[in-house]
Amino acid sequence: MSRGRVGTTVATAIAALAGLTAFGAAQAPSPASSPSTSLSSGSPGSASATTERDFLSRVRRLTIEGKRAGEGYWAPDGKRLVFQSEREPGNPFYQIYVLDLANGEAKRISPGVGKTTCAFFRPNSDEILFASTHHDPKSKQYQEEELSFRASGKERRYSWDYDPEMDIYVASDKTGALRRLTTAKGYDAEASYSPDGQWIVLSSMRDAYNRTLTDKEHKQLETDPSYFAEIYIMKADGSGQKRLTTSPGYDGGPFFNHDGSRIVWRRFDENGLIANVWTMKPDGTDQRQITDFGSMSWAPYEHPSGQYILFASNKLGFENFEVFMVDSAGTKEPVRVTYSDGFDGLPVPSPDGRQLAWTSARSGGSAGQLFLAQWNHEKALDAIRNAPPRQGPKKP
Amino acid sequence: MKLETCSSARSALTAVRASLFASACTLAIAFTTAPAAAQTATASRAKAHVDALASDRTEGRLSGSPGERAASDYIIAELKRIGAKPLPGLNEFRIPFDFTAGTKDGGTTVALSCATPAPSCSPRTFSGERDVRALSFSDNTEVSGDLVFAGYGIVVPDAQDFGYDSYATLDVKDKIVLVLRYFPEDADPKAKSILTRYSGLRYKAMAARQRGAKGLIVATGPHSPNAGETIPMSFDTALAGSGVSAASISASVADAIFATLNDREKTLAAAQKGLDSANPHIAGFAIPTVRVTLKPSVLRESRQGNNVFGYLPATTRAVSTSKPWVALGAHYDHLGRGDHGNSLATKEDAGQIHHGADDNASGSAAVLAVGELLAKAPRKRNVLLQFWSGEEIGLLGSAAFVNKPNVPLDQLAAYLNFDMVGRMQDNKLILQATGTSDVWGRLVEQANVAAGFDLLLQSDPYQPTDVASFNQASVPCLNFFTGTHVDYHKPSDTADKINYEDLDRIVEFAAAIARRVIDLETVPIFTKVEQRADPGGGRAGVRVFTGTIPDYSTEVKGLLLSGVIGGGPADAAGLQKGDVVIEIGGQTIANIYDYTYVLETLKVGQGVKVVYTRNGERRETTLTPSARK
Repeated sequence: MSRGRVGTTVATAIAALAGLTAFGAAQAPSPASSPSTSLSSGSPGSASATTERDFLSRVRRLTIEGKRAGEGYWAPDGKRLVFQSEREPGNPFYQIYVLDLANGEAKRISPGVGKTTCAFFRPNSDEILFASTHHDPKSKQYQEEELSFRASGKERRYSWDYDPEMDIYVASDKTGALRRLTTAKGYDAEASYSPDGQWIVLSSMRDAYNRTLTDKEHKQLETDPSYFAEIYIMKADGSGQKRLTTSPGYDGGPFFNHDGSRIVWRRFDENGLIANVWTMKPDGTDQRQITDFGSMSWAPYEHPSGQYILFASNKLGFENFEVFMVDSAGTKEPVRVTYSDGFDGLPVPSPDGRQLAWTSARSGGSAGQLFLAQWNHEKALDAIRNAPPRQGPKKP
Repeated sequence: MKLETCSSARSALTAVRASLFASACTLAIAFTTAPAAAQTATASRAKAHVDALASDRTEGRLSGSPGERAASDYIIAELKRIGAKPLPGLNEFRIPFDFTAGTKDGGTTVALSCATPAPSCSPRTFSGERDVRALSFSDNTEVSGDLVFAGYGIVVPDAQDFGYDSYATLDVKDKIVLVLRYFPEDADPKAKSILTRYSGLRYKAMAARQRGAKGLIVATGPHSPNAGETIPMSFDTALAGSGVSAASISASVADAIFATLNDREKTLAAAQKGLDSANPHIAGFAIPTVRVTLKPSVLRESRQGNNVFGYLPATTRAVSTSKPWVALGAHYDHLGRGDHGNSLATKEDAGQIHHGADDNASGSAAVLAVGELLAKAPRKRNVLLQFWSGEEIGLLGSAAFVNKPNVPLDQLAAYLNFDMVGRMQDNKLILQATGTSDVWGRLVEQANVAAGFDLLLQSDPYQPTDVASFNQASVPCLNFFTGTHVDYHKPSDTADKINYEDLDRIVEFAAAIARRVIDLETVPIFTKVEQRADPGGGRAGVRVFTGTIPDYSTEVKGLLLSGVIGGGPADAAGLQKGDVVIEIGGQTIANIYDYTYVLETLKVGQGVKVVYTRNGERRETTLTPSARK
């Protein structure tokens, strides 16, 4: 689902987060019952004088209908957003919707059956990609099981299950026709297009299924399949699939940068506890680490100016994700962007660089929703310019 | 918006709202007021309406007053101008309803006669409001009987699993019950937070009646606030009594009663002392030495208020399915000169015209402006435009309508209410009662994509405004609200402080939602929201004043302050706007409801540790609450 998916080793603990859409915590405990760590909202490291208002104005909640929504990505013309939401009776999993920012109408473009996640508009085309499991004959059964589980009143420490049936599909916005691009066993998701619409990067766990695993790896697959996730690239028609990363631990959430010259993604360590933002060339070479927070930094997306990368991190407290930004080369200490209780993450700037869509639980309740705000690019540049050089994580 | 009196049974949130401001009237306050709205290029749709309705000419629009008449004249003229008509079958826009404009004591007496000849007892009759005063909801029925002292007269329902029943060991059938006001004073905070929910006067009267008591007499113990005094008659708009004869008595009357026992262990003070630990095994006792005759006299003044209704007929054939009406409404009444107990004016301002520009000329203006927009486009449903009177004294106008509707309630697809929509800050708009229908999520989402408000959605329809009446009537409803402010219920709620630019945006937004409801093929389904308030149906009310002004428009973990009242306890403790209170007296404050319950357990004059965050930094201070009556 989320390009920021975290490994199941941490997902269990993370499930206590305040109803993260992004983490699939459908029935998360109320934030009131959690410790007050998220109240410490001071800017870490530096006594930076910036606040949310410096960067974000006209903050508003965009999605309201349904239980949860998130992962909003812009159409190249900035007039629509594609996002995932649980908002139709009968299916307790995410489906993909396109929101028309002129009239407020949201239209489902995914099949409606099974699980879907991570959509992206194909530039210069009417196509939209997403990952889906609807071809799995057991899809409806899973829906009913989840619904009756919820009806029973029990609460699940829900974690994203990395459904191995998840594959990449492309839907035509005009005709609704669906094409399947990947068929490999193992979770294929978290895909996005290059700026010219000719390439797709994705995260796949196929490595766990296409070779003989050691006993240790078998155990790993049972407890945390995301360990096997690596970044792949392929042509827009699904051909020429090629693996770009080989490091142990979950590599996911890849996006091309503004001009397609690099890929930005997040890499978890072997234990699935620490994640950092990395960039590399589209051929997998020149891999560089951009952040070094010693916490979970993920969901990176480059601003269209190419000057900085927005991402989310729980540096301020295990349950308190906030949006940060860092210069695209990662030479500076990241600057905090959001200041609110609960989850703020999955930041995606608009194509003109003047708005920010992100997923937040700031409106209260138990689930994340899409938010939108005006983005002050000039102030962002100032803040990054004034940020101190990058420091490593504080050693305990 | 209606100010809640402390004895009324409303939501916790409401109780706080009332209490936060209620004691402000005795303090000199220097607030910076909200800046006037920025000038817009185009004339505001709503400004002319607010100017007219909040002018001196309408004298604060008190229900049943000439000012109400003047305001309704303006509304009717505007309804005619936009093409609205009186409801089908009626010739008038004005729809009158009767209400009680006030209560006073008409000479209640308590007579003691000696049950058996005893040297310590002599027959006496007490009168005069210093010694005996009816409770405002009392019947005017004379009752006589033996007397039983029933402690605090509190019964916590079994469902609470708490185990406190003042009547557990007492037989009060056909007797008169004497109880203490409030709740055990020395109970630990957690026990207090439960007991307080069942300590409202109406609740105590109900508990006594359910056990067969004929009447209720209340004394305020020496260990409680307002010790020894009779209880002021709260403003009660009920047209008749509640079926209970009830009065409060002074310490001297109570002492005279206890003295008949001639027992040093059984004085009012000693009895209260024993009860104050909230030990459930300490019981009341019969006072067999006297018989009591209670003769309550409550005078109720009846008046007539006027709702104003107009409608815009459907222009195309109404949707065939059902429910051919959509209603929009706002109360247009306010506090007049504030002499009915719900004003928060300072001493200096007392008796001045309460203009009520935000509360609720702004909402009335919004209904007129939305109506004008809807009047210009084709309509598949009739649009009912409703202007309520009697809201400030208890949602009386809307209650009169739902009790005797001029349009059948099952013909209403939905109702949109506007109460205090003129003080938007930071683009924040609160939508309340969103839980009353599943349809709101989609309609509000669609309309807000263009409108771009920072919406705060509250599913709770049990709000201190007319939306509550429609919720009771099972009509899907929605309330628009921009939050409370320092001028709330004061003469300084004036038209120059209204944010017209954003009020006009609210009008456009509401019109977009109304249009979508008007066009719905499938009518919205009403969903019942469970009431979050106390199940006991009455609370003693908040007795302390802290001088904090919570920010209702932002939800954070803790209690965000939008300000403090100058010179008040919070101010003295160094709290300020923007602070987030997270702990009071060791109790975690996660939200406004937690805050309410903690407030009820604080003691006047007794400092309590407050933990708060300022700019993310954790701080501590000591706050010493002062008393409110």
